[in-house]
Amino acid sequence: MLFQIETVTNSGVQWAWLAPTLSASAFCAIVVLGRFLPKQGAFLSLLAIMAGFGVFWYVLSEFLSSGGGIFSVDWFTVGESTFSWGIIVDELSVVMLGLVTFVALMVQMYSLGYMKNQEGSFGWYFAVHSLFAAAMLTLVLADNFLLMYIAWELVGACSYLLIGFWYHRRSAAEAAKKAFITTRIGDVGLLIGILLLFNETGTFDITTIFHIAEQGGIGSGTLTAAVLLIFLGAMGKSAQFPLHVWLPDAMEGPTPVSALIHAATMVVAGVFLVARVFPLFVMSDTAMLVVALIGLITALITAAMALVMTDLKRVLAYSTISHLGFMMLALGSFGFTAAIFHLVAHAFAKALLFLGAGSIAHGTGDKRDIREMGGLWKRMPVTSITFGIGLLALGGIPPLSGFFSKDEILVAVLDGRGPLFFVLTLVAALMSALYMARLLFLVVLGNLKTENEHAHESPWVMTVPLIALAVLALGAGLLAPGLIPGYDGFGNWLFFEEPEAYHINFLVMVISVVLSIGGFAIGWALYSRKLLSADRIRERFSGLHRVLVNKYYLDDLYQWVINRVVLAFARFMALFDRIVVNDVGVNGTGRSVFLSAWRLRYLETGKVYNYALVMVVGVVAVALIWWLALPYA
Amino acid sequence: MSLIHFQVLSAALFSIGVYGVLARRSAVMVLLALELMLNAVNVNLIAFAAYGEQVQATGQVIAIFVITVAAAEVGLAMAIILRLFRDRASVDVDEVDLMKW
Amino acid sequence: MNYLLFAPEFTLTAVAFAVLGVDLFLPRDKKGYLPALSVVGLIGVFVLSLRYLWGRDTDLYDGLFLIDNFSLFFKAFFLVLGVMVVLSSVDYVKKHLSRPGEYYGILIFSILAMMLMAASGELLTAYISLELLSFSLYVLVSYGRHGLKPSEAGVKYILLGAFASALLLYGISQVYGMLGTTRFDEIHAALLLEGTPLNPAVLVGLVLIIAGLGFKVAVVPFHMWAPDVYEGAPTPVTAYLAVGSKAAAFALILRLFSQAFMPAFDDWQIILVILAALTMTVGNLVAMAQQNIKRMLAYSSIGQVGYLLMGVAALSPLASNGVILHLVGYGGTNLLAFMCVIVFYNATNKEEIADFAGLADRSPFVAMAMSAALLSLAGLPFFAGFTTKFYLFTAAADGGLLWLVGLAITNSLISLYYYMMVMKQMYMVPADDNTPLNVSMFSCGVLGMLLAGVIIIGVYPGPLVNAIQAATKAILP
Repeated sequence: MLFQIETVTNSGVQWAWLAPTLSASAFCAIVVLGRFLPKQGAFLSLLAIMAGFGVFWYVLSEFLSSGGGIFSVDWFTVGESTFSWGIIVDELSVVMLGLVTFVALMVQMYSLGYMKNQEGSFGWYFAVHSLFAAAMLTLVLADNFLLMYIAWELVGACSYLLIGFWYHRRSAAEAAKKAFITTRIGDVGLLIGILLLFNETGTFDITTIFHIAEQGGIGSGTLTAAVLLIFLGAMGKSAQFPLHVWLPDAMEGPTPVSALIHAATMVVAGVFLVARVFPLFVMSDTAMLVVALIGLITALITAAMALVMTDLKRVLAYSTISHLGFMMLALGSFGFTAAIFHLVAHAFAKALLFLGAGSIAHGTGDKRDIREMGGLWKRMPVTSITFGIGLLALGGIPPLSGFFSKDEILVAVLDGRGPLFFVLTLVAALMSALYMARLLFLVVLGNLKTENEHAHESPWVMTVPLIALAVLALGAGLLAPGLIPGYDGFGNWLFFEEPEAYHINFLVMVISVVLSIGGFAIGWALYSRKLLSADRIRERFSGLHRVLVNKYYLDDLYQWVINRVVLAFARFMALFDRIVVNDVGVNGTGRSVFLSAWRLRYLETGKVYNYALVMVVGVVAVALIWWLALPYA
Repeated sequence: MSLIHFQVLSAALFSIGVYGVLARRSAVMVLLALELMLNAVNVNLIAFAAYGEQVQATGQVIAIFVITVAAAEVGLAMAIILRLFRDRASVDVDEVDLMKW
Repeated sequence: MNYLLFAPEFTLTAVAFAVLGVDLFLPRDKKGYLPALSVVGLIGVFVLSLRYLWGRDTDLYDGLFLIDNFSLFFKAFFLVLGVMVVLSSVDYVKKHLSRPGEYYGILIFSILAMMLMAASGELLTAYISLELLSFSLYVLVSYGRHGLKPSEAGVKYILLGAFASALLLYGISQVYGMLGTTRFDEIHAALLLEGTPLNPAVLVGLVLIIAGLGFKVAVVPFHMWAPDVYEGAPTPVTAYLAVGSKAAAFALILRLFSQAFMPAFDDWQIILVILAALTMTVGNLVAMAQQNIKRMLAYSSIGQVGYLLMGVAALSPLASNGVILHLVGYGGTNLLAFMCVIVFYNATNKEEIADFAGLADRSPFVAMAMSAALLSLAGLPFFAGFTTKFYLFTAAADGGLLWLVGLAITNSLISLYYYMMVMKQMYMVPADDNTPLNVSMFSCGVLGMLLAGVIIIGVYPGPLVNAIQAATKAILP
């Protein structure tokens, strides 16, 4: 029988499956009926995602009252293993459910305004958005690796379609191809890892595999290999070094796409994957170390690159990769809660920033270079304020959400990996504050350039999502410690093995506050001298400010040092990234496969006797190998 | 006259046939070589039938079938080669390489 | 001797002769009745075989023909395949080929041959049915009227085919001579007596049999005929070659290796593994460099044969299920892909990949069907290709061939490239000539049927898998 539903608990939580299904139906409906509907059916997509968001609230309330569970339905049977469609509803998937539906809703609403005058099919854009939402929701809810892998692939395909949405532009088509191929490399690793686990345990069901592993049913070598291969898949999707080359280029797609897919949802699929498979990861020390190392390396080098980029979206892209590195680093340091919290906080703030960038482009006539911006707060107040909030949040300024999440990560790294990692993480944190500050001073604040006199604020469909996300970026941090009675803090709700109350390590907190603010101050000193709001900052941090003012007198020397050391390093990294990793590693492999294919084809000469000769040679070779190898078989 | 002689004869004929298929330019000669190969197989079969562990008719029966199939094959092959000749005015196998790579 | 068990074959022969006979009397404009007659005949035989052969496990002529679930499954599969091929050829034959009567008649004879191949229990029977299939195909391949390609394809196919069948025959004679029998079950017993290591004479026989059968399915290094023959044959015949003759040969290979050669498993497994690795790699790599769609599909099917051979190398009930499932799923997908090519060729007389440019604008339905076929071939979920490939790879991994499965997955990744190239041409490159494609309603219907089949196998393979399991039990209890 095809449908045999097994429920673990009878909670209403099982309706979570509606969320992806609604979006999937919207996709089909738009594709088939789109041309008959007004606005090519875009509103269907919005309806579906709104309904999905509603489902999230329902599921959340049910979850808090009666708990979660695993629900599945059979698909087909191979040997003794049965494959099923099923969902897991636990804290992690509920959080992701809310995150994905909310951000997708915001982005789709925003797109109504942004995509109105752009080239390309309006209906198809929203159709792929729906498909993406469906796939991403399936991914976070899936209870078995097979379903997760299918959703994983589908998410990648949607990303390809959306990056290359303006496919007539060569750069967009190239970027889409690059994204797809790079992530595909990771996907191979993921698939092999999944198959390895299947080989050892005979099932794809995630919770069953955890049980078997806990009882020692998987050899440690195989476990490490499988987990590392799964991490390879995560590296591809979450743009970790060296598979990060696709994300900056992915900015060729429409900005709402960058906001949704390349900031808040798809790229966190890798982090989510590691989190979901965390029980297996913690069983392998090697794997945890690799995850932490790659996260750290990624965070450092991409933060450095963000400092030299002049295209607004590219800076945000490198910043995204850097923050994904932070999340992986946190996971690799056993900071499960910290990583997920940062995932959520970063998603809100980064989506906000990208949508803000889109709003800026919309208002200034498609400007992307930050050197051409400045003083936009005069003409685009809502955008500027929300954008500024996003920058401050990710720079780690308290009491915004980014401060809380970054603080938790620092504590986790210190406890889990020790002082060396901690110091390097601090360096990365400082750089992140620095580039955020750079954006703040160059784009939002400062003097209005004459060519930007006609800049105008964006329509309400675009600014309302900005405001909503900004509120979250502001307030989400308050979810971390338990300030409401009956709620003990995020760490007591979503945790791995033991509940973690919000950690207050005063030393770390002080250091991180100093770094964030210091970063912004350095930014101010570097990028703006006539800062009107400097009065405000001066009042609040007078002592620190006096120190910096002294340094300000040595401005040129300071600038020279930074130029020589930090920026030179960043430029070198960009070059290395382009030539070694991109051209040789990624492109090179592809080209060599293609060249070998091109040469091989000439074996087929067209002459019958050649074909017959190859056959004879084949027979003789097989016979010889067999005869000689037989005794040793 | 024992089994091994016939096996060697069969192998030799077969190899000559293979050489013919590989080295001949005219399609008709290739066909001839193919016939040689099939007849080599016949020799093998009949020898096994006669000198095998038990004398049995299976080999000879198979040989008769092979002769029949070979004849049919030749007829069909000649028809196709004739078609080739009509199209190109030659049966040179070397020239038949329009489709390659 | 229960001749009723042979009724399907007799009836099919009668249908074939009926088609040839009716053709003599039909005036030129009424030739449309011929495909209708063929389809009706095939469906009738289908019903007949299910009625009389369901659930039997017996043999005819003292072991020459085996009537069991395995042969029944394949007979049913070939008959359905035959119906789909006839339906796909209707427009093509009307436009491009002469003498439709012989075309349909010989097609039915070849289906008969395939049915016999799947049911043979003995080497000579297998050989003769194989030859019947080959002869029919030699004729069908040379059927084209225009240009030099059809005759060239025909000559290459028959010369190399005869060569391969001579090799096969020599192998059969060796096996017969050394083991004293040609019946599969007796060969099994004799091999058990022989023990390992194998007598070199038997080894030579086995190698030659592998070569001969390998030619039929286009295993590397016996594959070189395939691209040329696929390119030169009329496209419905190419589709038929790609799906039918491969399936029949694999049915024979499965039966041969699991019933006859099983005792020597440890010896021949390594050979099949090497051949499988070679085949999938060469097939997928060279496909990347092709510009003619039929040639590209030929190389892609060579790659698929590599995966199938991997399944045969792992020979276990699970692997055998995987192989048969992949044959069915991939068969349907290939038919869909080739049908799109047929439709395109009928409308435009072109078959280079570059000509597919802008197909999405000219005929969105055909473009969608082609994309579905290509995505299924690549193994993307919700299409037949995913389910079948997954099953096959799992079974092979289960049999311990882990590195080979890894190679297969890598090759699937590579294959995605050239499938995407075609999709890119269809969707992203603007057409030179934007006139909508002239596709008959009938062809659209056939495309729709094939598309539905591909999706159903991908999403709900349950009943099909059950049937296949019953088939495998007959040869690998």
